[in-house]
Amino acid sequence: MSRAELTATSLYHRSVVWLLLLILLLPLAGTLLYSLSSSWSATILPDGLTFKWYLALWSDARFLAAFGRSLLVCCGALVLAVVLILPLLFVTHYYFPKLDGLMNLLILLPFAVPPVVSSVGLLQLYGSGPLAMVGTPWILLGCYFTVALPFMYRAITNNLQAINLPDLMDAAHLLGASTWQAAWLVVLPNLRKGLMVSLFLSFSFLFGEFVFANLLVGTRYETLQVYLNNMRNSSGHFNSALVISYFFFVLLFTWAANRLNKDPS
Amino acid sequence: MSFLSIRGLHKRYAATPIFSDINCEIAQGEFVTLLGPSGCGKSTLLRCIAGLTEVNGGQILLDGQDLVPISPQQRGIGMVFQSYALFPNMSVAQNVAFGLRMQKVAPAESAQRVADALRMVELHEFANRYPQQLSGGQCQRVALARSLVTRPRVLLLDEPLSALDARIRKHLREQIRSIQQELGLTTIFVTHDQEEALVMSDRIFLMNAGKIVQSGAAETLYTAPVDAFAAGFIGNYNLLDADAASRLLQRPINSRVAIRPESIQLDANGTIDAQVRSHSLLGNVIRYRVEAYGVELLVDVLNRSPADLLHNGQAIALHIEAQAIQEVA
Repeated sequence: MSRAELTATSLYHRSVVWLLLLILLLPLAGTLLYSLSSSWSATILPDGLTFKWYLALWSDARFLAAFGRSLLVCCGALVLAVVLILPLLFVTHYYFPKLDGLMNLLILLPFAVPPVVSSVGLLQLYGSGPLAMVGTPWILLGCYFTVALPFMYRAITNNLQAINLPDLMDAAHLLGASTWQAAWLVVLPNLRKGLMVSLFLSFSFLFGEFVFANLLVGTRYETLQVYLNNMRNSSGHFNSALVISYFFFVLLFTWAANRLNKDPS
Repeated sequence: MSFLSIRGLHKRYAATPIFSDINCEIAQGEFVTLLGPSGCGKSTLLRCIAGLTEVNGGQILLDGQDLVPISPQQRGIGMVFQSYALFPNMSVAQNVAFGLRMQKVAPAESAQRVADALRMVELHEFANRYPQQLSGGQCQRVALARSLVTRPRVLLLDEPLSALDARIRKHLREQIRSIQQELGLTTIFVTHDQEEALVMSDRIFLMNAGKIVQSGAAETLYTAPVDAFAAGFIGNYNLLDADAASRLLQRPINSRVAIRPESIQLDANGTIDAQVRSHSLLGNVIRYRVEAYGVELLVDVLNRSPADLLHNGQAIALHIEAQAIQEVA
């Protein structure tokens, strides 16, 4: 390939990437600018820049409560996930490796059934009767657990496969460790990375979850996305500040997950 | 009385027997090798001795005490794995100290013993490294130090050299042997490599299909194989059926015969007429494939000078000493 052709292709590649970035970033940049403008209606550029929408948002008690609820539900679901999934993974991989196939099938279920469909089922199941939880944060906890399960199961399984679990356990046993000691001192520290990455990713995902939150609980326990939905008729500047705040928060978590993923040690 | 004695040991997975009625006696300080092809049950036998795999019957007596009902933690047995099985989250020193930590040895004593163990495997300068920063050979030496530091009554080595390259393998096997002799440690080594077994062991147990086929010193196994399997597995024996042997040796023979390639001599006065078919250079030895009376034989000759090299198709005469002809079952 000649030099001219090379520059031409490289120019083409660059423009595709920049175009893609532009398409992805333009709405976000627009939202950011709108959230920072005092007013922006009949002019090409906003009249002036201001932080007042952010100040209004971060001093709104309803927003702060919704933010807190989202945090609580996500963290609760993830704590539940850690407490249940870690021992489950250990047991499947160490004692019953054949169950891994079945588990891989099971963890696909949350993906296979669309949230709207499973919401209807969950409303039927938990709407009344002994397990009436619809409208309470508890149903979200359980539901978010199933959403986080595939992320966490896959990430930690990869981690487990990389460490040769049976040999490590055998070595620890022969050196005098009980199964608990071996799991705690040898296996768990080696799963830390997979665990943290999957936790951050699940958090980012769950923090923005709307369908389950809206259908199963709605305004009875208003989470961030439900709040955003309910505020859709208020000031666009205010909503933009809300979206940007949310986006920034998720970005922070995704970045943290990526950092951990790249960490060589 | 022997130090470790295995009596009537059985193991099966579901209906498949892995080994049955294994009996062997091992003296204190002895280095024995379980040698056999993969799937012969040698690794499973080792894991049964360690307590990592349950047995279905029989006894494992160590110093008079039956190990079968005892957990692996309590057996006082050290083991080195083919995969090294070092703990990736711990430094070299922490890996070696792990067993002492489990025994609640005081930190000062632990540090001293870890340093001694690392010095023994010549890795004391690597104490603060992590396993992923070490080469395969270094990893295996750390694993060795880790299993020695707790002063085990028996050391088990499960194909510890198989994942290493040839040069390091040779060096490490000498190191293992010299440490074992220095400590007088009763050691059971598992391998499928006959050369390793011959070089390292006081005694070899040759296993096939869940049975001990032959046991004895390296010389015995090499020079007097009991059956066709033993002859085929150790050395590169020429295995001839009765028919071919009768034709080759020009006298009636009623059993199978094994002849080592290096015991066949190229001798102008030899009574067996043969022809060179092909040759391959093994370094200090040239291996000829020759044909005599329709029988194909391997003949090993020392590679003394290029001038001695025989050409393919060249007619030669062979001589085989009577004691080099082993009748095997």
